Amino acid sequence: MTEDERAIGDPGPQPRPAGGRGSLLGPRLFAIGLLAFGLFVLLDALRIGRGTGFRPIGPGFVPTIVAIGLVVLAIALLVRTTVRPDIDLADYAAEQAASTSWPTVGLAAGVLAGYALLLAPLGYILATTILIPVAARVLGSRQTIRDAIVGLAMSVAVWLVFTRFLGVRLPAGLLEPFL
Amino acid sequence: MDAIANLLGGFATALRPEYLLFAAVGVTLGTFVGVLPGIGPALTVALLLPLTYTLDPIAAFIMFAGIYYGGMYGGSTTSILLNTPGESASVVTALEGFKMAMRGRGGAALATAAVGSFVAGTVSTLAITFLAPLIATVAISFQPADYFALMVLAFASVTALVGRSLLRGMISLFLGLFIGLIGIDRVSGQARFTYGIPQLLDGLDIVVVAVGLFAVGEALYVASRSRHDSQEIVPVEGSVWMTRDELRRSWKPWLRGAAIGFPLGALPAGGAEIPTFLSYSLEKRLSKHREEFGKGAIEGVAGPEAANNAAFSGVLVPLLTLGIPTSATAAILLAAFQIYNLQPGPLLFQNSPDLVWALIASLYIGNVMLLLLNLPLVRIWVKLLEIPRPLLYSSILVFATLGVYSVSNSLIDVLVMYVIGVIGFVMRRYDFPVGPTILGVILGPLMEKQLRDAVAINQGSLSVFVTRPLSLTLLLIAVVALVVPYAPGILRRLRGERGGERLVFGSGSED
Repeated sequence: MTEDERAIGDPGPQPRPAGGRGSLLGPRLFAIGLLAFGLFVLLDALRIGRGTGFRPIGPGFVPTIVAIGLVVLAIALLVRTTVRPDIDLADYAAEQAASTSWPTVGLAAGVLAGYALLLAPLGYILATTILIPVAARVLGSRQTIRDAIVGLAMSVAVWLVFTRFLGVRLPAGLLEPFL
Repeated sequence: MDAIANLLGGFATALRPEYLLFAAVGVTLGTFVGVLPGIGPALTVALLLPLTYTLDPIAAFIMFAGIYYGGMYGGSTTSILLNTPGESASVVTALEGFKMAMRGRGGAALATAAVGSFVAGTVSTLAITFLAPLIATVAISFQPADYFALMVLAFASVTALVGRSLLRGMISLFLGLFIGLIGIDRVSGQARFTYGIPQLLDGLDIVVVAVGLFAVGEALYVASRSRHDSQEIVPVEGSVWMTRDELRRSWKPWLRGAAIGFPLGALPAGGAEIPTFLSYSLEKRLSKHREEFGKGAIEGVAGPEAANNAAFSGVLVPLLTLGIPTSATAAILLAAFQIYNLQPGPLLFQNSPDLVWALIASLYIGNVMLLLLNLPLVRIWVKLLEIPRPLLYSSILVFATLGVYSVSNSLIDVLVMYVIGVIGFVMRRYDFPVGPTILGVILGPLMEKQLRDAVAINQGSLSVFVTRPLSLTLLLIAVVALVVPYAPGILRRLRGERGGERLVFGSGSED
């Protein structure tokens, strides 16, 4: 009858390249993850104190409602990605999947984690001077020397302005003796 | 008139050289981030929050107001020349504006956007001047139950009317509500959702959440698509001004846009997207040049840009008089008030009149500054669009890390911010609006407090929400707001036709 129901009974390969149910895999995983998270939050919320007769709304009241909300919404999302697929979302997800480069995302996240870990031992200036050209390269830049110069200039400028004028303490790291 | 005397007092404060300087810094920064694609006023204010702890509140808020307005002016430039709206309220501007730029009328589009923003901004600041004190007076009689109902209404309208899916908006909102609950409960002293991690006892700082969602989420999203998207800037040809005919076609849309934008922004109904879409369809209907729509009709830029600006001003009304933010940026501004131990709401006008009126006066001043900054200097701003994208987003990451680190010199905060950034990336990827999350983080704890107060006043019974007419009315309106987008589809189904799409107003990723 409707587009959705036809898609359920259709065993063969989907004729449409974009959309269809296969591309909802990502949102479906998201929904399952959200459901697990919601249940976890719910268990935790139920352990928070109940209200008493005098104060009916205890510290656990709102957390429980939020947790129930998360669970219900996760189930609703699961329904919209399986039994009654949301065609718009499927198309959007398909378009996204086609244009997403996962290695780039993984690399970018890795670079960020590395930056956070190196910030204290190397110090702000060194870590940032390295971060800019590396992150720019991950994001598609091919002019690494230019990026490195920008990185050095920016990290020194930020260091001077923030530590000297704005009173923010930044880690000095290896350059400690010189700063 | 009290308002006029107060406003003059506000001007006396805001015109002092140091405050003029802060206003200038604010509007310049705001235009800067407005022009840059991918970052907006919400992120900028969040990043600057830790740095302004030492400023006096008037200086800080004059600067924030400048950023808020500047972001809007700058956003139109990006929409018109690049066809990538910097913020969701500029989506409509891109429809006709980019087409105008392609036809070589980019200068006229920029001019009508800037002047329209100025006209609408000034008209709606006038409206704030007289309306806000009135609402503040009325709101003094509001009780906790009414505030609770108002917040429910704000949540309902923001999630229902912004973004493409109510379900995804609600999920985004509830994630925000959860984040807002983390930490020690202020009433009972009990730790909630802290999982034994001492750093979580104070809760997650809004700066960490906002910067993670907006800056890191956006940068990862751009990274994921960097091999896919390529953009070209349309050069601005000729002068940045309108012909006599274009001016004639612009002024009515400006005023109509302001008339649509301000009231809709002032209602707790969610930001600037809806008025821009309404203005666009109104101008399309009224225009004598309807055939030009879709090919670059100047009315389609003038109206929505004015509506956008007026709505942004309107949002300040519930923020200042009720303490209720209806957009992500307004939510961050509310957090800023809390940092200064100021509680926006009816009492703000009584307790901190200096601040409020200086802020309102600075809106007039900021609008004039922005007109000067955007009309003659627009070519300089356009140069910003030539910054290579990889370098731009690397720098955004640097400043995001810096901003979060400077909150409390904690690398744990930085790591938490990156994790939230990954969540923000996943949300963007599957079309979840980010704004409701921010709203949930900020408004959630306030809402819980009002709920508890309301029930305590009512001797422990929830019945107050049904028996108090104002609360009940507000809650019913909230239900209507959730149903309205589905109304056309439901009606069609009732008539036995095929169910249609729900109404969609904007993509609402960041305001």
